[in-house]
Amino acid sequence: MTQLERRLLADRVWKIVASTLAGLAILLLAWILWTVVWRGATALSLTVFTAPTMPPGRGGGLANTIVGSLVQVTIGLVIAAPIGLLAGTWLAEVGRGRLADAVRFVNDVLLSAPSILIGLFVYELLVRPFGGFSGFAGSAALAVLILPVVVRATEDMMRLVPGSLREAAFALGASRREVVTQVLWRAARTGIVTGVLLAIARAAGETAPLLFTSLGNLGWSFALTKPMASLPVTIYQYAGSPFDEWVALAWAGALVITVGVLALNILSRVVLAPRGKASR
Amino acid sequence: MIRTDVVILRGANGPTEDDARWSHDWGTTIVTVETSAALPPGHLAARPLATAGHADRAEAPFRIALTAAAVLVLVLLGAIVVLLFNGGFPVLVRFGLSFFVSTDWNPVTENYGAAVMLYGTLVTSALALLIAFPTSLGIALFLTEVAPEQLRRPIGTAIQLLAAVPSIIYGMWGFFVVVPLMSAHVQPLLKAVFGPIPLIGALFSGAPAGTGILTAGLILALMIMPFITAMFVEIFSSVPPVLKEAAYGVGATTTEVFRAVTVPYGRSALVGAVMLGLGRALGETMAVTFVIGNANRIAASLYSPGASIASTIANEFPEAGPGSIKLNALLELGFSLFVISFLVLALARFLVRNRLEA
Amino acid sequence: MNIELSEMSEQFRQRRADLGDPGETKTKISIAGLDFFYGDVKALHGIDMKISERRVTAMIGPSGCGKSTLLRVLNRMYDLYPGQKAVGRVELDGEDILSPDVPAAALRRRVGMVFQKPTPFPMSIRDNIAYGIRLGEKVSKSELDDRIEWSLSKAALWNEVKDRLHTSATGLSGGQQQRLCIARTVAVKPDVVLLDEPTSALDPISTARIEELIDELKSEFTIVIVTHNMQQAARCSDMTGFFLLGKLIEFGETAGIFTNPKDERTQDYITGRFG
Repeated sequence: MTQLERRLLADRVWKIVASTLAGLAILLLAWILWTVVWRGATALSLTVFTAPTMPPGRGGGLANTIVGSLVQVTIGLVIAAPIGLLAGTWLAEVGRGRLADAVRFVNDVLLSAPSILIGLFVYELLVRPFGGFSGFAGSAALAVLILPVVVRATEDMMRLVPGSLREAAFALGASRREVVTQVLWRAARTGIVTGVLLAIARAAGETAPLLFTSLGNLGWSFALTKPMASLPVTIYQYAGSPFDEWVALAWAGALVITVGVLALNILSRVVLAPRGKASR
Repeated sequence: MIRTDVVILRGANGPTEDDARWSHDWGTTIVTVETSAALPPGHLAARPLATAGHADRAEAPFRIALTAAAVLVLVLLGAIVVLLFNGGFPVLVRFGLSFFVSTDWNPVTENYGAAVMLYGTLVTSALALLIAFPTSLGIALFLTEVAPEQLRRPIGTAIQLLAAVPSIIYGMWGFFVVVPLMSAHVQPLLKAVFGPIPLIGALFSGAPAGTGILTAGLILALMIMPFITAMFVEIFSSVPPVLKEAAYGVGATTTEVFRAVTVPYGRSALVGAVMLGLGRALGETMAVTFVIGNANRIAASLYSPGASIASTIANEFPEAGPGSIKLNALLELGFSLFVISFLVLALARFLVRNRLEA
Repeated sequence: MNIELSEMSEQFRQRRADLGDPGETKTKISIAGLDFFYGDVKALHGIDMKISERRVTAMIGPSGCGKSTLLRVLNRMYDLYPGQKAVGRVELDGEDILSPDVPAAALRRRVGMVFQKPTPFPMSIRDNIAYGIRLGEKVSKSELDDRIEWSLSKAALWNEVKDRLHTSATGLSGGQQQRLCIARTVAVKPDVVLLDEPTSALDPISTARIEELIDELKSEFTIVIVTHNMQQAARCSDMTGFFLLGKLIEFGETAGIFTNPKDERTQDYITGRFG
């Protein structure tokens, strides 16, 4: 075999290996989705969305947990998104030197910090001192999860804005605030909104940080000072329970949450892609 | 090129000679329109520089808000470190550093040690990385170089979407689908194949319960694989085509270009991606809790049930009342997990920097 | 639209006559003993130069010769980057623009700039123009509309975009985008327009349009253009400065520089012996 033939053969072999791996991965992942869809769809009914959680044997649905999740994610987002936008902007536009390096590093640490630790942190910060699990504590935990995602997305997206665009805005005599809020944010808008949507999706699917903060609640209670139900925590509790109907509800919930999270992801890709142009 | 038949010029100035020439060359009629509002050019009015611009009164508050938000990020991490350390401190006082090497976890005698969880966390994550890294690299190669153009976007998007599926879904799937399968087919098969081999056989000994370290590592691998792959693909597609073309230009094959140009070009980012994947695996709670078996012991066999830091915290927290030493032990576990993830990230950063300088 | 049509204007022939010979007009920008530093690296060495009002001044020279650096001093764009420093005196109508008392934003409204690559903001065509105007002035809607039309006409773009002012500016062709950027710059009504290799990213036809535009604009604006393209400098400038290694080697009327350069290095450059 000549050297060229050997090289071409190696090329072929590697390509086949890569293709096989990709095929396997796609199959496995399709299998996961199929399981969720199939088991979830069998358990899904209108009651899931209309009735609250009930003790075993009495039917019930997941309505209160879905609303609870929405409430906590929304509050978490309202707290974290503006701070994240500002901090990310600071990193991209103002921050220099060691302080900027420190903030960027710390944000990366927050971004990759295990979510269960966020739960423990908020437990120590808000639950233990104030004497109980609460919906607000859950929201705060989700805010801590959302914040670094938004910071990162904002910084990255603002850095993608061509330097010439910044200079062009400055060249018209704009102040830094005007350049940032009127040109850079607008130029980076799609990316930042995508980041926020992905942060929402991440927060909505998180279980661990809510275990020790909002805990869970069987009824229709959305007082921020009381424990609050959430979909992921309920799925976790139900999936591990010995009751078939609860396990079925857990699958229904899993389907709901998967569809929700994937819909957010797809939304962030499709709807926000620049009109008339394919996104990359 | 847009050809226009008529050009209308508005304003005080008429067409220039060039306009006229251009209109002649292109057969375009130029029409001048006088505007009613006279618009004097700037230099006609004397504008001293001090007043020509405008002061933005919102500039200072805006800067303060930006800085405050950035500082808040620092404060937040500081608070996490302080509260977790503080919460776990009583355990360090009581057990000292033996907390980290003791395998004892006994709520009855109130003796707590973290060795089992540290072992479980590290081994499952290492397994996950061992499986996920080469797989992700292969898939990324497929997606960026091998797959037909029409397939790249849909598959790439699908993989990115799967990276977004909540971990609890992976946990449930693992528990209800993989565990029975492992127990009935995979584990007996592996045992039959590797069992007779000395040393390696020990890894695959014991009852094929389905749950355990191996299954946890597998689920973790599956969970971080889309995550790592998505980052790999992004890194590979950011390689300037010119570089790759240069390598193709000297006759390299696709995979040779991949190894000689694409991977080295993105090396630092690849390391970062792997480290981020590792960080995810280390701290993953839900996917692991469902399948690791939750037993406080260390065994050579990958089939044996175990516990990770995160799964222990999730499982035992409900039985740890405020003020109990158990709660302190869990918080100390949490602090250890934080330190480990922090080190992984710091290492990733260090590697990235080193390679950038090299 | 109420348009009063007129015949081809007599004005412009008159205007040509009015302008007289290059070099006779008043000095708009006077640069004296200018040094520029990127950190510790000195990029400009004692530049002395007088830029005439309502003339096109071209700066040529090989890459890294400092011509773009000088351009960015004239509107203090370097201010954005810590570590960059200009020392010396640069006067705009007799006022020292390097003085810390002069707000950079104020300076930039009188000294506009157009960049190498088109920089349309991610807004509609109309908003691109309106943005610059509104930054520094309070204008009524009708005034704004007039200014937008005026500036787009100045940039020879009005005709092409008047029916789609509200569509995104990023949908325009490269040449149109660059003319939009010129319109956006002149809409502010600056005294001076700086052009930093404005055609290097454009095709020859768009380039020709921009060059015609420069010629048109100089009746009202002082224009400084940095270009890599010597034919361009020869075609559309009145004065030319040749830069080499951060020094101004030769500065004079364009015709003189290109036909009878006094310095050997200028000759080498324009005859293509290096650079």
